[in-house]
Amino acid sequence: MLRHPASYRDPSGFIYQDNGEYFRQINPSYFKEYHAIKNSNVYDQLWKKNWLIYHEEISVTSDKITLKPTQLNFLTYPYEWSFTAYKHAAQLTLRMQMFLLEKGFSLKDASAFNITFNNGKAVFIDTLSIEKYRDKEPWKGLKQFNEHFFAPLLLAQQHGSYYLKTLQHRINGFPLDEAAKLLSWKTKLSPTIYSHIYYLGKQKNDSIGEVSTSIPSKGLDKVSQIKMLKTLEMYISKMSLKENTEWSAYYKQTNYIDQAFTYKKDLIKNWNSTLNTKKIIDLGGNNGTFSKIVLPDANQVIVSDIDQSAIDDCYISNIKNKETQIIPMVTDLMQPAASIGFNNEERDSFVSRVQSFSPDLSMALALIHHLTLSGNVPFEMSASFFKSLSTYLIIEFPDRQDSWVQFILKSKRDAIELFDDYNLTNFENSYKKHYSIIKKEVIKGSHRTLYLMKRNER
Amino acid sequence: MNMLLYLDPGIGAMIAQAAIAAFAGFVLFYKLIISKIKGWLGITNKSDDSNFDDMYKDQDLKNK
Repeated sequence: MLRHPASYRDPSGFIYQDNGEYFRQINPSYFKEYHAIKNSNVYDQLWKKNWLIYHEEISVTSDKITLKPTQLNFLTYPYEWSFTAYKHAAQLTLRMQMFLLEKGFSLKDASAFNITFNNGKAVFIDTLSIEKYRDKEPWKGLKQFNEHFFAPLLLAQQHGSYYLKTLQHRINGFPLDEAAKLLSWKTKLSPTIYSHIYYLGKQKNDSIGEVSTSIPSKGLDKVSQIKMLKTLEMYISKMSLKENTEWSAYYKQTNYIDQAFTYKKDLIKNWNSTLNTKKIIDLGGNNGTFSKIVLPDANQVIVSDIDQSAIDDCYISNIKNKETQIIPMVTDLMQPAASIGFNNEERDSFVSRVQSFSPDLSMALALIHHLTLSGNVPFEMSASFFKSLSTYLIIEFPDRQDSWVQFILKSKRDAIELFDDYNLTNFENSYKKHYSIIKKEVIKGSHRTLYLMKRNER
Repeated sequence: MNMLLYLDPGIGAMIAQAAIAAFAGFVLFYKLIISKIKGWLGITNKSDDSNFDDMYKDQDLKNK
């Protein structure tokens, strides 16, 4: 039995792994709460709404209750969500709290890590975060909610999507007093931002040594708390992020003709169908256009891209088209999410999560020139990176005549000769050290070559 | 009081909620008035096409 390294904060219980499966143990201190929630059908109602991860009760003894939650193949973390996904996760947290209050319960925290995405939608995964509502008690999770959700969303909206990655370097969220300093003075005019960021940011805890456990005020009645949450949710629901990036319109202004595009699609579909792949990762997958082509032959596809708006587009279209088996995530391959938290073990790195997802196929379409030319990653290194992820690789190589490559090369100015090695022969030679080339086709009407490779197993 | 506070909610922040909630009460009231007036004038807000209610209403997918 292996306790999950991120499951230590709440004494009510913890997650552990046994034979590759995840279970949740509930400690006696939480028995009363658990039975109260279960007997009032709150779990059932939340499951019906698809808001809470489903679990089965495996065993009940006097010293522990064991639950088996739905097993998730892959967890994305808040710093990998696109704006709309982040926003929906925030709204789900607030809706949960409002729903629970009506039923006489409450969330005891509002960590963004309580949420992940399953079947394309946000779902609450920390089952033990629910407790009985105590009359007149303000919401314990409010400050955390604003630090984990509201502040990053506001900052992203004002200063760019990079603020959505806040929790990567600040696992406890963005401090509200600091957020207040970064927001424009105009935001003070919004009653919601003023009260949740500026005003709340000014509230400090009692001075050290004088911690009191009781709340020295008349408290907050339930109706008022619901009003407060409703106002906050209304504000968040209207938030949007309009970022124009070079990628969001990529497919509208591609540098190759429609015919080549269709040809590339067909090649990928045909090659993949011969491989019997179940799990695929599409690296630099933009808005998931090519993921959707291979999905019918696979069970699940992760689409990762550096571009927030392309991933946002993917997230929204997946839900609209009821596409449940694509997992979109924002990832910069030049600095993918590191492992963070206590002992570097609470949240796994991007690479180790992908490795345990163990995809059968990695796709790297129109990616290698960015890694090699913009990122200066030698072919050797990108080959061994791809090799660490999956058995098969479909990779596209745009040669020096490709307009994108030309553009990047020209931007190197004087240093252009440093990239003389960027050509098909060198690429093939480096990759052949790690892979066997199974198929190779020039995409007609373009300066690109598509490869299907199989990793050399030692 | 058997309160297992593994999360420090900040006592200050807890007290502040009463004020925030009072403020929110005004905001809600104001929004209601505005939307009533808009309703009389026949102005409807076009809603965002990726809003939570539309996208999360689906209940036919069970997360099993």
